[in-house]
Amino acid sequence: MASFAGAFAASHGPLLVREWQAIPQAERLRLEKAFKELGRRVTAARPDVLVVVSPDHWANFFLDNYPAVCIGVGEANEGPPEPWMKGYPHRELRGHPDFASHLLKESLKLGFEPSQSHRLKLDHGSCIPLWRMELASMPALVPMLVNSIEPPMPSLARCLEWGKLVRKAIGSFPGEQRIGVLATGGLSHSIGEKTMGAIHEDFDRKTIKLFSASERSLVRYLEKELPSRGNGSEEVRNWLVAHGAARGRGFDLVDYLPVPAVIVGCGFASWRA
Amino acid sequence: MRDYWLSKLFYDLQQPALAAEFKANRDAVISRYPLSAEVRKAIADDDAPFLARRTNAYLLRYYFFTIGMKDAEFARRLRNG
Repeated sequence: MASFAGAFAASHGPLLVREWQAIPQAERLRLEKAFKELGRRVTAARPDVLVVVSPDHWANFFLDNYPAVCIGVGEANEGPPEPWMKGYPHRELRGHPDFASHLLKESLKLGFEPSQSHRLKLDHGSCIPLWRMELASMPALVPMLVNSIEPPMPSLARCLEWGKLVRKAIGSFPGEQRIGVLATGGLSHSIGEKTMGAIHEDFDRKTIKLFSASERSLVRYLEKELPSRGNGSEEVRNWLVAHGAARGRGFDLVDYLPVPAVIVGCGFASWRA
Repeated sequence: MRDYWLSKLFYDLQQPALAAEFKANRDAVISRYPLSAEVRKAIADDDAPFLARRTNAYLLRYYFFTIGMKDAEFARRLRNG
């Protein structure tokens, strides 16, 4: 059977690309170091496949149909459509239809109902961390788009359960592949609302601390705090998927720094396999 | 509350060709969307708080980025009107 290669998480704010040169040097160097360290950990884990958990920032879905969760089951997916991501070297990213279809079928069997797509556009949410981590080789990617953009969103507890389901699907997938999870987004930020630009460092640090505590305390804290911590903070759902995949164990912070120049509390972490 | 057609305009403006046309002839592009008079006025006035009540926050940010407004100015307008 396939094996779990570990879980990883990184922020993905657009200004990490759009305004990269405008970030004060000390912070830019620290961000660069954190991305590279995360890339080193991903490389060391030798994943054949990465399940990339990100929101869809209106690249694929609109108000006509915005799924709570969508799994990309295609042979390939498109690179980022944003004009300011044109420097990203991959215009097409290899998928892993066999594992993606297995994950989809296991989901349905266990009472989860994601949508599916045979070709997705992977926007900055997926691609900024993949770019900045400077991976020597790109694993096959199975996109898992979780709605943290347009309310109402999947519950936090459900996202944790999604992670456990991903782990189960890895464990029941025939083959020798090593399959990891990369969660992107968060930590606190506020986009297009009155509090735009606010970073809640206290919330971020407490959340980070709780990733090493009980799942219940983590979810309860987030349920209480998220409504007042900026809409971008909702992306912590993706971290919960990673946490669930890691069975709530082995969280290790790479770095955290609030970066006003990118208006994000930037977090980087991994979970041991 | 979501104004579907306002949101659709912002969503469509992610296409570079349409964004270029919008910059050159805003009225021509807007005329293709059944927007109310008050929404048209809010677009003309760059009235961020009014528009924010009618669309998704991320779409709103894309829109103001597309028309060339810096995030700092966009944030100021959201706060102060």
